[in-house]
Amino acid sequence: MTRHIRNGINAGIIFGIVTIFLFMIGFTTTISDLLGQLLRNGSSIAVMGFTPGIFDLLVFLFFIGMWAGISGAKKTPDKIDTWGTVLLSSGIAGLLHGILVGGLALLVGSLLQAGVTMTVYFAQLLPDAIHLFLIGLNATSAGSFYVIFFLITGLIGGVVARTIRYGSWRQNLTAWSKNKWQAFTAWPQYQRIRHNKLNLFVVYGLLILIVFLLPQVLGQYWNYTVGTVGIYVLLGLGLNIVVGLAGMLDLGYVAFFAIGAYTVALLTAPAPHHLMWNFWVTVPIGILLAAFAGIVLGIPVLRLRGDYLAIVTLGFGQIIAVLLHSDELTAFTGGPRGVAAVGGPSLFGISLGTPEGFVYLILLAVILVIFVTIRLRNSRVGRAWEAIREDETVARAMGINTWSHKLLAFAIGASFAGLGGVIFASRNQFTGPEDYNLMVSFNVLASVIVGGMGSIPGVIGGAFTLKGLPEVLRELENYRVLAFGALLVVMMLIRPEGLLPTSRRKMEIKELHDPDGKEAGETPGGKS
Amino acid sequence: MQQKTALHVHKPVGTYRYVQIILGVFFSAYLLWRLYVVLIAHPAYGPDTWLRFTIDGVVLGSVYALIAIGYTLVYGILFMINFAHGDVMMLGAFGGYFVFEALGAYKVSSSLSFLNAYPVISVILAFLAGMAVSSTAGYFLEKIAYRPLRGAPRLVPLISAVGASIFLENAAQLLFSTQRWDYTNPAVLNRGAGWNIHVGQGTVVVTYTGVLTIVVSVLIMIGLYLLVKRTRLGRAMRAVAENKSTAALMGVDVDGIISRTFIISGVLAGAAGVMWGIHLGLVYYYVGFIPGIKAFTAAVLGGIGSIPGAMLGGLFLGVVESLGPAVLGISFQLKDVIAFSILVLVLVFRPTGILGEVLSEEKV
Repeated sequence: MTRHIRNGINAGIIFGIVTIFLFMIGFTTTISDLLGQLLRNGSSIAVMGFTPGIFDLLVFLFFIGMWAGISGAKKTPDKIDTWGTVLLSSGIAGLLHGILVGGLALLVGSLLQAGVTMTVYFAQLLPDAIHLFLIGLNATSAGSFYVIFFLITGLIGGVVARTIRYGSWRQNLTAWSKNKWQAFTAWPQYQRIRHNKLNLFVVYGLLILIVFLLPQVLGQYWNYTVGTVGIYVLLGLGLNIVVGLAGMLDLGYVAFFAIGAYTVALLTAPAPHHLMWNFWVTVPIGILLAAFAGIVLGIPVLRLRGDYLAIVTLGFGQIIAVLLHSDELTAFTGGPRGVAAVGGPSLFGISLGTPEGFVYLILLAVILVIFVTIRLRNSRVGRAWEAIREDETVARAMGINTWSHKLLAFAIGASFAGLGGVIFASRNQFTGPEDYNLMVSFNVLASVIVGGMGSIPGVIGGAFTLKGLPEVLRELENYRVLAFGALLVVMMLIRPEGLLPTSRRKMEIKELHDPDGKEAGETPGGKS
Repeated sequence: MQQKTALHVHKPVGTYRYVQIILGVFFSAYLLWRLYVVLIAHPAYGPDTWLRFTIDGVVLGSVYALIAIGYTLVYGILFMINFAHGDVMMLGAFGGYFVFEALGAYKVSSSLSFLNAYPVISVILAFLAGMAVSSTAGYFLEKIAYRPLRGAPRLVPLISAVGASIFLENAAQLLFSTQRWDYTNPAVLNRGAGWNIHVGQGTVVVTYTGVLTIVVSVLIMIGLYLLVKRTRLGRAMRAVAENKSTAALMGVDVDGIISRTFIISGVLAGAAGVMWGIHLGLVYYYVGFIPGIKAFTAAVLGGIGSIPGAMLGGLFLGVVESLGPAVLGISFQLKDVIAFSILVLVLVFRPTGILGEVLSEEKV
C-alpha cells in the first residue's frame, strides 16, 4: 500500500515538474500549434466547444496526464496490483500532477493579471502563451480546472495501464507475429530467393537505382537537406570507427571536419591566398591533411585513459575553434569573417555545383566510406579495434599492437571527417568559424550513439533522425539540441547499445548488464 | 584518499621518453626566454600591470579551484568526469542572479531597496540560493543520469554526462533566452570599486568583489577540508573513494555517500557561480561551459582525486591564464588556447598531475 502511494507521489511530482518545464520553455505552445496543423490542417473552427488552439493544447496535455497515470501505476515487485491499488497510485499521481500544474497556472495567471512582464526573465512566457495556457479562463478557475483535468487523465492512465499489463493480448500478439515470421522465413520460395546470390544483387541494384534517381525527383530544398544528412552520415561513419569500433570517445571531432573544410576553402577560394586550385586536387589534400592532424593529435593523446581522452580531444576542438575565431590568423584563414567563394566540383566541363550534383557526390562518398568501413571492420584491423574496445589489456596480451591500431582508427576517422568537410565547404561555397562549433561534434556523437555504436545502418538511421527529422519538423527546431541531450542520457539508461545495434555489440552489452556481472568485487568504473 | 599510491598510468618507454624530455627542455627554454624578453629586455608592462594581472588571476583561480574540487570529489569516488558540472555552476549563478533581482525590486523604504539596505544579508542570501539550486541540480543529476549506470562500461556514464550537460545548457537557454544578464550587485560591491594601491608609477585597484571572492572561497575550502578530515561524513567519503565494496561491508551507505558527494560538489559549484556573477558580472546559459573545462584542467593539473591539488591547480591555472598572453606576447583573445594547451600538455606529459594522483590502484 505504501509502495503504491509512493509510486504515485513520485510519478506525480516528476510529471508535474516535466509539464511545468515544458510550459516554461514554450514547448506546450509549439506542440499545440503543430498538433493543430496535423489534426485539423490549421483550420480555425471550434472543436467540442473549445477554441482550436486550446483544443490542441488539451489533446497534448491529455496524453501527458495519461502518461503520468500510467507511470504512477507501475508494476510493484510483489505483484499485488488490484484495480484499487492501480487507481489509487494513478489517482495520486494525477492529483499531484494537477496540483503542480494548476499552481503554476494560478501563479502565472495572477502575475499576468497584475500586469507583470515575465518575459524579462523567462523568455517564453509571452502573454499569448499564458492566455493559451489559461485556456481562456481566469487564473483561479484555470488552476482548479487543471487539478481536475489531470486527476481524470491520471485515472484514465491507470485504467489503461491495468488493461495493458494484465490483458493476455500482449503475449498473444508477440506469439502470433513470431509464428507468422517463422512461417514466412521457412517458406521454400523465400529460402530460394534469399540464398540465391543473383537475386540479392538484383535487390541491391534496384535500391541503388532508386537512390540515384531520387535527386532528380526531389526539389532543390530537399536535395539540400538530403545532402546535409549525407554529410552527417559521412561524419558519423568516421566517428563510428573511433567511438564505435575502437571505443575511444572523441569530442573534438569537429576539428578534423574544419581542417577538411578549410583546406578546400583556402586552396580554391580567391580571397586570402588566391590559389584557385581545382576542386578535385584539393579533395585528397583535405583528406590527407585531416588524417595527418588525426595522427599528430593521436600520437601523444592515445596513451590516455578513456575519459581523459575525451577531455583532451574536447580541448583540441576548442583550440581549433578559438583559433578560427580569433583575429590573429585573419591573414591565413580569413578570421571571423570566413572564406567566401569556395570552388565547386566540375566534371568534363559540367559543373556539379548544383544541389543535385552534390547529392550525387555525397552519395558516392558515402558509398565509398561504407565500403571502406565494411572491409576494415571484417579485417584483422577491425577485429583488433573491437578487441581494444572491449578490453585493452587483454587485447595487448593477445599480441595486438594497441597503440598503432588506435592511431589508425583515429587517422581513418579523421580522414572521413576531412572528406565530409571538403564537400561541406564546397557545397556552401563559404566556410567560417561559426560552422565548426562544439555542437557539430555532439550532433555526430548523438547520431552514432542513438543509431548504435559500431553499426553502419545505425549511423545512417541516426543521422536521418537527428539531422533529417528536424528539417521536416521545423517548428521543433528550437528544441532539437535539448532533445539531443535528453536522448543521449535516455539512450544510455534504457538502450546503451543503440537503436540498430550490431549483433555482437548487443550481446556484449547484455552480458555486461547481466546481474552476475555485478559482483561485489568489481569496481564501479567497470571495464575501461 | 589518504594513502598515496600515485601511479603512472602509462610508463613512457623508449623513444617516447626522450621526445618528452626534449620537448620539455625546449618548452622551458622558450618560456624562460619569453620571461627574459618581457621582464628585462623589452618590458611591455610596468610592475602595476603585472600585479593587476596576478590579482585577477588569483581571483579567477579561486573560482576555478571551487569548481575543480567538485570534479575531483566526484572523480575520486566514481572515476567519471562529471561533464555537466560546469552547467551545475551556471544554474547556481542564475539562482544568485534571481535573488539579487528580487531583493533589488523589494523596497524597504521609498528610495532604498533591500539589496542596498542590507548588503551583507543580500549577499549571504544570494550565496545560499545559488548553493541550494546547484546542489539540488547535482543531486538530481546523479540520481537520474548517473546512478542507474553504475557498473556499465566506462563510456556509458561519460556519454550520459555529456548528454546531461547539453540538456542543462539548452534548458537554460530556452528558459532564460540567450541574453547575457548583468548581475546587479549591492551598491557597496560595485564592480571595479576597491582599494587603490600605489605600485611604481601606477595604481592597482584591489576590487571589493575580488576580495569577497577570495575570502569566501578560502572559507569554503577550509570548511570542506574540515568536513572531509574531521566528520563522520568525510570519513565515509574517504572510505568510499578508497574502496566501495569494503566500505559497504563496513556499514557505509555507498549510494547515500555518493549522493551527498554530488550535493557537496553542487554547493561548491553554486558558490563559484554566484562569485562568478558578482565578480565578473555576466551570466548566460553558456557561462558554465568554459570554466567547467578549465576547472577540470585545474583538477587534473593538481592530480585528480586530491582536494589540495585541485585548490592549487585552480589558483595556478587562473594565474597562468591571466599572465600567459602577456608573457608569451600573444593576443588576449587566445587566453583560452593557453588553458586548453595546458590541459593537453599536462594530460600528455604528466597525467597524474603535479601533486600526483590520489587514486587507489584498482581504479587506474
